[in-house]
Amino acid sequence: MEEQTETTMAPGERMDVDGGGYVPLQPEPEDDEPLTGAPFVIKKFSPVFFWSWDVHSDSCAICRVMLMEPCLNCQVNNKTSCVVVWGECNHAFHNCCMAAWIKSGSSSSGTAGTGSKCPLCQAEWIIQRVGN
Amino acid sequence: MTTMTRRRLLRDLKKLQEDTPSGICAAPCDNNILVWHAVIFGPADTPFEDGTFKLVLEFTEEYPNRPPGVRFVSKMFHPNVYADGNICLDILQNRWSPTYDVSAILTSIQSLLDEPNPNSPANSQASELYVKNRREYEKKVKAIVEQSWVAFGDDKDDKDKKAK
Ligand SMILES: [Zn+2]
Ligand SMILES: [Zn+2]
Ligand SMILES: [Zn+2]
Repeated sequence: MEEQTETTMAPGERMDVDGGGYVPLQPEPEDDEPLTGAPFVIKKFSPVFFWSWDVHSDSCAICRVMLMEPCLNCQVNNKTSCVVVWGECNHAFHNCCMAAWIKSGSSSSGTAGTGSKCPLCQAEWIIQRVGN
Repeated sequence: MTTMTRRRLLRDLKKLQEDTPSGICAAPCDNNILVWHAVIFGPADTPFEDGTFKLVLEFTEEYPNRPPGVRFVSKMFHPNVYADGNICLDILQNRWSPTYDVSAILTSIQSLLDEPNPNSPANSQASELYVKNRREYEKKVKAIVEQSWVAFGDDKDDKDKKAK
């Protein structure tokens, strides 16, 4: 899954893009030409880069929507502030979807213990990180 | 009804249409997406072979955070199916996961047919025969397989009549 994004950046600014294609952001200075005498100066340029999600599956196993898009519930409610949550087991879901599952109370039933389980691998659900 | 549940069910339906597991068909009612009718064909090389078993799935607004109620409408003779058609299957109770969908539910029920769990008997006669007298068990199963054809045909005629 790839998405094209356009960003405007100042020249020389460095950018880190996880798992995405690398775009050289600095114009190559030519050694034999003094910078002051350059025929033109780059004031602004817009690199176009590609990126992709570095997760096992790019859709949320609970609502079946792509993780890069807002979850089904947020889409219905026109909310765009939907984040992704990763567990220690490396499974990722929409934070909303996982929260709703935990809130339903079904997530901890079945086996001993009170902690919630990952819906995919049944491992104890420990949040590794939340983000985009 | 929450739109979220409805949309998830529509996704389930789309997935079923695009990638139908063998021996299973299912669709929601025309006027209520929370109620689905399904047919499971008995798996080959089992006593259930050639059976066409009808089921009803009833979802709540809490789906997929809560499992749907699933029961056989066709008469069933199975250690883990109650007389009223309700199914004793862990994934439909305490081992439910919101990652399951209609396709996964029906596939699990289909494989339960030939792999009963004698530890959670819902039909004591079927459980006992399954363990102690497999021949008699299979005979009883064959009988409900034949009944499933008759019931299937009847229902079709009914629908045709209503349509006219
Ligand atoms: Zn989701
Ligand atoms: Zn959301
Ligand atoms: Zn997991």
